[in-house]
Amino acid sequence: MKKLMQYLFLSCLKASQLIEKKIYSRLSFKEQLQLKMHKAMCEACTNYEKDSLLIDKALQKQTTQPPVITGIDLEAFEKSLANKLEQKRKK
Amino acid sequence: MYSNIKRLTLKEKSNTVDLASWVHQYSADMVSWALFKVSDTELAKDLVQDTFLAASEKIENFRGDSSPKTWLYSILNFKIIDHYRAKVKKPVNVGGDTFSKFFSDGGEWIQSHKPHNWEEKETHLLDDDEFNKILKMCMDALPESWSLAIKLKFLLSKKGEEICEELGISPTNFWQIIHRAKLQLRECIDTNWFKEN
Repeated sequence: MKKLMQYLFLSCLKASQLIEKKIYSRLSFKEQLQLKMHKAMCEACTNYEKDSLLIDKALQKQTTQPPVITGIDLEAFEKSLANKLEQKRKK
Repeated sequence: MYSNIKRLTLKEKSNTVDLASWVHQYSADMVSWALFKVSDTELAKDLVQDTFLAASEKIENFRGDSSPKTWLYSILNFKIIDHYRAKVKKPVNVGGDTFSKFFSDGGEWIQSHKPHNWEEKETHLLDDDEFNKILKMCMDALPESWSLAIKLKFLLSKKGEEICEELGISPTNFWQIIHRAKLQLRECIDTNWFKEN
């Protein structure tokens, strides 16, 4: 019984780490079971998972919005780049 | 026979004509793409410049199997990943204090840092400018390699393991960085948004 308990029970530190692993990758069967058990008893970690998923969604939104390019002189950039390539070719 | 001749002429021309016209055709879009990935204008320009310089050296390898655009972008993407790889690798010390701030010695949440339910309709939240500002501010407050580790998933559109492989760091190390970063980030948002509102 003691062994079973040790097998199934996680600390919150470990549980919240598994939550991140679950978001970024996937859990082994054992880890899934451990996390499920833990969340059933632990409100804080259940909340942590919700919050973390929400943060991820918000970040996804922020990082996938293409930026508006302003104030870059691309013409000058093109020119200097073409020059550099030309010089390199001559060498 | 015919293809040999064709290849030769392409090769002769490539150094002079193609690269210059490619600069004109693709460089602006490439800068936007790089900027989108690295959020730094000067860096984006440097990466595109490096790409073209590398392309000029490797032009013999380009045989028209793929379009010039695909070829150039594959070099550029490699340069972008290379840039991140160097950055993430630098700080080896991920800071041992983070966990003890949130968890007791036994690994339980410390009362004042316990996550509670945010109870927000996330659809509204994600569109809220003020919330997004706070999120950005909290991201910027993290050590650079931490916020980077979090963002790489979206920037590279890759799974955790692939990111580790790409960056040459161990998965365990990566989870630890992510975990610490998320703990800080969550608390920062909690303090600045949910407790204020």
